[in-house]
Amino acid sequence: MASVLRSSILRHTRVPISTTLTLNESKLIAVRSMSSYGDVHLDKQEVIGRVLDVVKSFPKVDPSKVTPDVHFQKDLGLDSLDNVEIVMALEDEFKLEIPDKEADKIDSCHLAVEYIDNHPMAG
Amino acid sequence: MSVASASYLARRAAQKERVRILYRRALKDTLNWAVHRHLFYTDADALREKFEANRSVDDIETIDRMIAAGEATYNKWRHPDPYIVPWAPGGSKFCRNPTPPEGIEIIYNYGHEDTA
Repeated sequence: MASVLRSSILRHTRVPISTTLTLNESKLIAVRSMSSYGDVHLDKQEVIGRVLDVVKSFPKVDPSKVTPDVHFQKDLGLDSLDNVEIVMALEDEFKLEIPDKEADKIDSCHLAVEYIDNHPMAG
Repeated sequence: MSVASASYLARRAAQKERVRILYRRALKDTLNWAVHRHLFYTDADALREKFEANRSVDDIETIDRMIAAGEATYNKWRHPDPYIVPWAPGGSKFCRNPTPPEGIEIIYNYGHEDTA
């Protein structure tokens, strides 16, 4: 008796499932996953987009010259110390910890994207 | 003096790598000490000035001595509790949930397999 009453009340007051969030008529693209065990891998396009954003926001870099194949020292005219700073900014962006020897070898956007793409814990 | 022999170039390249690794560690240490970003930016600029001041030194022995002095200063100023990314060695989540060995699986309906 009580269960029938309960179900009839629930049928009238059930809230409809809301549609997915839209922001300015476009879907939210980058949704951060709450899992911190490295089982969710990043999309390569998203990685490229974020790496290019980091490089473009570097103060010594001209944003119009940045492409996914650009070499930090040869094409952008940066210093080896600037290279170190960019790698640190990428570590901050993707919450990675890159060993010193590996970080020394990251010289271009292409290498950076490849390294981050193949890293299991890239956030 | 500027003999471009292979051993000289190899030594200079090794020195450059040491300088890069020293700059990287010093920058991370600066971030550890100056937690707030606006303080970190001023300190990072000061550190960069120190490195830029010795940019044009050419004598290989002087460079060796300067790198050793720089590494000694770095060792003196190392932070006792640096920020390490949680899943990396030294971080708080390292080895917290290691992947179980092969062949082990969880039985979710133990005791009630007949009603599965």
